[in-house]
Amino acid sequence: MTAGDVLAILRGAVVTVTLSLVGILIGLPIGLGLALLRWANVPVVAKIVAVYVSVLRATPLVTLLLLLFFALPNIGIPVNPVSAAILALVMNTSAFNCEVWRAALVNFPKDQYEAAQSVGMRAGLRFRRIVLPQIVRVSLPGLVNEMSLLIKVTPVLAVVGVVDITRAAVRIGAQTYEPLPPFLVAIALYAPIVFVLVSLQRWIERRQSIAEAAA
Amino acid sequence: MIHDFGIVWDERSLLLSGLANTTILSVLSAAAALLLGFVVTPALMSKRRPVAWAARGFVDGMRCVPFLLFAYIIYYGLPSLGVRLDNWTSGLLALTIYNAAYMAEILRGAWAAQPREPIEAGTAFGFSEVRLFRRLILLPLLLAAGPVIGNQMIQIIKDSAFLTIIALPELTHAASSIQSRHYVPFAAFITAVFLYWGLCLVIEVGVSSIGRVADARR
Amino acid sequence: MADGSKVLDVAGVSKRFGDLGVLSDISFQVDKGETVCVLGPSGSGKSTLLRCINWLERPDAGQVYLNGTQVGINGAGVVMNDRDLSQTRTRIGMVFQHFALWPHLTVLQNLMEAPIQVQRRPKAEVRDEALALLSKVGLLEKQNAFPAKLSGGQKQRVGIARALAMRPDLLLFDEPTSALDPELVGEVLLVMRDLAREGRTMVIVTHEMAFAREAATRILFLDRGRVIETAAPDRFFAHPETERARQFVQRYAGDTGGLQWQRLGKRS
Repeated sequence: MTAGDVLAILRGAVVTVTLSLVGILIGLPIGLGLALLRWANVPVVAKIVAVYVSVLRATPLVTLLLLLFFALPNIGIPVNPVSAAILALVMNTSAFNCEVWRAALVNFPKDQYEAAQSVGMRAGLRFRRIVLPQIVRVSLPGLVNEMSLLIKVTPVLAVVGVVDITRAAVRIGAQTYEPLPPFLVAIALYAPIVFVLVSLQRWIERRQSIAEAAA
Repeated sequence: MIHDFGIVWDERSLLLSGLANTTILSVLSAAAALLLGFVVTPALMSKRRPVAWAARGFVDGMRCVPFLLFAYIIYYGLPSLGVRLDNWTSGLLALTIYNAAYMAEILRGAWAAQPREPIEAGTAFGFSEVRLFRRLILLPLLLAAGPVIGNQMIQIIKDSAFLTIIALPELTHAASSIQSRHYVPFAAFITAVFLYWGLCLVIEVGVSSIGRVADARR
Repeated sequence: MADGSKVLDVAGVSKRFGDLGVLSDISFQVDKGETVCVLGPSGSGKSTLLRCINWLERPDAGQVYLNGTQVGINGAGVVMNDRDLSQTRTRIGMVFQHFALWPHLTVLQNLMEAPIQVQRRPKAEVRDEALALLSKVGLLEKQNAFPAKLSGGQKQRVGIARALAMRPDLLLFDEPTSALDPELVGEVLLVMRDLAREGRTMVIVTHEMAFAREAATRILFLDRGRVIETAAPDRFFAHPETERARQFVQRYAGDTGGLQWQRLGKRS
């Protein structure tokens, strides 16, 4: 395995990280939006969201990706591997995020909300200043967990030709007839990223439980 | 569109055998992973440092590696070490070992949350190790861990779809095959999606009933 | 009602947890039919002493004998293996502060589990005896309920019945009513008092002074891991000999709350 090969895998890492970030950044607010729709119990829409989230959480990412990649062109929407990948990642992660946000919303202490109402705060202000900061805090561990899970499913993008870490490693292995070394490099790239996220999650949880104990 | 679904219906035996393979693969590896978990968890909590250290390394390692990569390593990487496995064995092995780490962590968490006194009462009444575990520890532990194990099973079903990449004839592979031969991507994959959804609903029903059994005894 | 034979012989038992000395050179004996109440301030080592008797904690020094045979050390002077220790433990019944009922088994199954699994007694005989014991503690109609559905007092009565189902030579009670709401304490103490009157050999760690005064044949007073004083209850409470015992009795002198237990104690 040459230095050039390692470089190729590193380029794949850039793709992995970039696509993951895009997926996370878009998926977070969409997940929040879906959770709010269910929490506010908007008629009909809430039910649709519930079914959508349930189906998406049950769907393997590879199946979803193949569905989008092959079916969308059929109904006239052009997709390339990258856009299909981003769409699949966003749909997948937003469904999981929705459940994390929803848990925080459902467990939100009702009396705080009522206190805000009773001092005359209107809905937008109530949400922005009272509800949002607290559900962000509560949801953080679950959301970070979901981020680490997202990184771990990005190899599936190789299926539609996106050259991420895994596909780069597979390609080099096929060329050199030595599949193991590039795979090990791939692990050496994935593991730190996931490890950082998992450690971050544990750190957040620890800090929160200390803050709660002190309160 | 209806025509497309008609084609899928014609190919239903392929789809159903894919579904069967997904189910068999998932059930077998889940059971094996759980059994393996029962071996790894005591190792995690062992007082002998090398043992605990090795177990912790295994569990954390599996949780930092993407499953697809792990499956690739087993299928494509092992041959260069002299071990050549077919895609079924590779798939089963990859799913089992990977999820054993998660099961071990689940069991460890459930064990830590178990009240100590009833187990101590068992010791005081003369129950010794194996009997103590079999009669007084195992069932309450499984009842408590039921929902989390159920979630892990759903994860296993979804991970099994990755194995389409090593040409294992599971559900996604079947749908892919139908779509590439008949050009009915939406119908084929949507059907697969709803079959996966159905599998997960079955698991969730199972978990609910375990939850009810557990609640009566809580 | 003490008969001459020694059921329990504790000789020079000491126990440390790390740097902390919890028990120092504890020695006492219990005759058949005696009810010994172990009293003392918190942290005096009472629970640890009880747990050393059936080797839930392993003493660092000293010996424990049950009906003449040593607990925890076999005939060759070597630490007992698991099987032999289990056999010894089947002859000592224990009642726990937080009841420790097995949650996945019904009340009746809780009583039958150890006699069948550990003592290997025939199921029909165990079942009949279990039902009789449940009747004795007033919980026959709860036989098929799960422990989660019982009140604290009911759970502890089941715990007592479960210990009795093993036909033990000795009964140990580890603060059996400390975790109960006050109005549930009486029903449990009533059962225990009846057991004492029947001539059961019992060692009870408790804070219930009025109960101890009435039901005990002897008081063992522990403070900071040592036996400070041992006397018949009337003498202990009326004329404690040592200074620390005096301080202890004075602090609890006003504890007439316990005296109510006999009136409140009703079967539920």
